[in-house]
Amino acid sequence: MTDEQPVREIGHDEFDPNGTLALILIYFLILVGMWIFMYFVEFLGNELTVIG
Amino acid sequence: MDIHSYEKIWLVLAVLLIAGFVSTVTYGATAVGVQMIDDDGGTINANALDEDPRFSNPRVEQVGENHYAAYVVAQQFIFRPDPITVPANSTVTFYVTSPDVIHGFEVVGTNANTMVVPGQVSKLTVNVDEPAEYGILCNEYCGSGHHTMEGKLIVKPESEYAQGGSTDRLRHSNPVRRASGTGSPTRRLSSGQLS
Repeated sequence: MTDEQPVREIGHDEFDPNGTLALILIYFLILVGMWIFMYFVEFLGNELTVIG
Repeated sequence: MDIHSYEKIWLVLAVLLIAGFVSTVTYGATAVGVQMIDDDGGTINANALDEDPRFSNPRVEQVGENHYAAYVVAQQFIFRPDPITVPANSTVTFYVTSPDVIHGFEVVGTNANTMVVPGQVSKLTVNVDEPAEYGILCNEYCGSGHHTMEGKLIVKPESEYAQGGSTDRLRHSNPVRRASGTGSPTRRLSSGQLS
């Protein structure tokens, strides 16, 4: 059965994993947002901060 | 090497992310002035704190125009002085040491937090702003009364502080602990053992 299905071969640059790209961008934005929150809000905003 | 254009995107993003991490930490260390606590405080004979002018009488002392030094002894299972009273809008340098075992010195809910090692003086400087009351606790297991080991940091308005807020150590030596709802019988016992 499988022999009858059309097979299309595409080259390396023709295959665009858009879903993967979208996922990675989402992960990236989550990371950036969490880092900003953690460093600037949770850490630097957590006075008293050791300055010497 | 054949690198797909999408792969290039996330390689670049990963490098940018690392650069961002490094630059925020650099920003904190330079613009904000965040420092690590190191061995600046120097060493001390843990068996002879009584002979050290700083720690024989744990206290808060004015050392500059708007700079105060708090000499704190962390011991099983109290902090001295208690409370530590400082004026608002000032710079406070804590010198903390221990005569017995390793303790922690953590101003609860803040970044002011250090280990207190016998024989070593932990030195940390902070800026205090508004009048407030902070808890201080020991975050290194130091013995059977560890869970009751706590103190208080009181930031008083400058006007109140000038009226003698820093000298009433004796009056505050056995303070009412409104803030803590736990372990008061044990606390009284352990404080009493040491006095």
